[in-house]
Amino acid sequence: MNDINIAATSSTPLIETDFAGGSVFMEGDSYPENSFEFYEPLVQWVSSYLENRSNLVLELSLLYLNTSSIKIMMDIFDMLEEAHTAGKDVTVNWRYDLENERVAELAEEFKEDCSFSFNIIGEE
Amino acid sequence: MLAPDLYSLREHFDQERILLCFNGPISRSLIEEIGNALRNYMKTEQTSPGSAMDVFAVYIELTQNIRHYARDHQFSGADTATVMVSFRDGHYHVAAGNMVRREDGDFLLKQVEELASLDKTELKSRYKQQLRQPRDQEAATGAGLGLIDMARKATAPIQASLKPLNDGFAFLSISVQI
Repeated sequence: MNDINIAATSSTPLIETDFAGGSVFMEGDSYPENSFEFYEPLVQWVSSYLENRSNLVLELSLLYLNTSSIKIMMDIFDMLEEAHTAGKDVTVNWRYDLENERVAELAEEFKEDCSFSFNIIGEE
Repeated sequence: MLAPDLYSLREHFDQERILLCFNGPISRSLIEEIGNALRNYMKTEQTSPGSAMDVFAVYIELTQNIRHYARDHQFSGADTATVMVSFRDGHYHVAAGNMVRREDGDFLLKQVEELASLDKTELKSRYKQQLRQPRDQEAATGAGLGLIDMARKATAPIQASLKPLNDGFAFLSISVQI
């Protein structure tokens, strides 16, 4: 399976997947006009990864998400939730700057709907 | 020919504490550039990161809504946006206006009015409910999730008004206080 490597722009985050290591890394702001199109490769990757493998870690340093990006992230977390229910080992680590409580609030609202390990980590 | 009276325009901007104003066809790259200018301004004004993010979020939702509306309704002038950000009485105000079909404007005004009657807890559950709506249904109802998101970030009910124009059109103005 091909890994994804997308460089950040001012309106889209950096996205790197690591099939061998079982992880996805995302960093930056996300407010593309067409989020569904932009995130299609990642959604496909996570979906096929979870069909083949049984553990996945999402390392997130996401900041601002527009509402259509929020909807996509929820779809991805729903896939993780389903995998978790099926006995797979999935984790989200969402790192944020302690100065910006909005990011923690956003992550917290996603966490409410997830029963897998979802860590919100404030950093100085 | 006389030069336009830019001084009086500037005085008006100063009086109204308008820090940013745009009027014209709006593109994806313009939204980004104006957004960057807005962020830089707030950084130099030492706005708290949380408020700065709320202002930016509302600005993006409002302008992207206009872009989406223009894409779905290709009438002449649909992509022309009027965007204004001001700072008065300790609050940022983000406003945007565009031309819409009268019935679409009426529908949006009704949504805004309904959201105004909800408290923060009710808005949150409405938001989560909308987040779970299938995508096509969201598209059909228009600015569903974005509008609720703005209502949650706002420190006062969203203000919206409609100015009727010819041929079944109207000019929609929305203003959000942060």
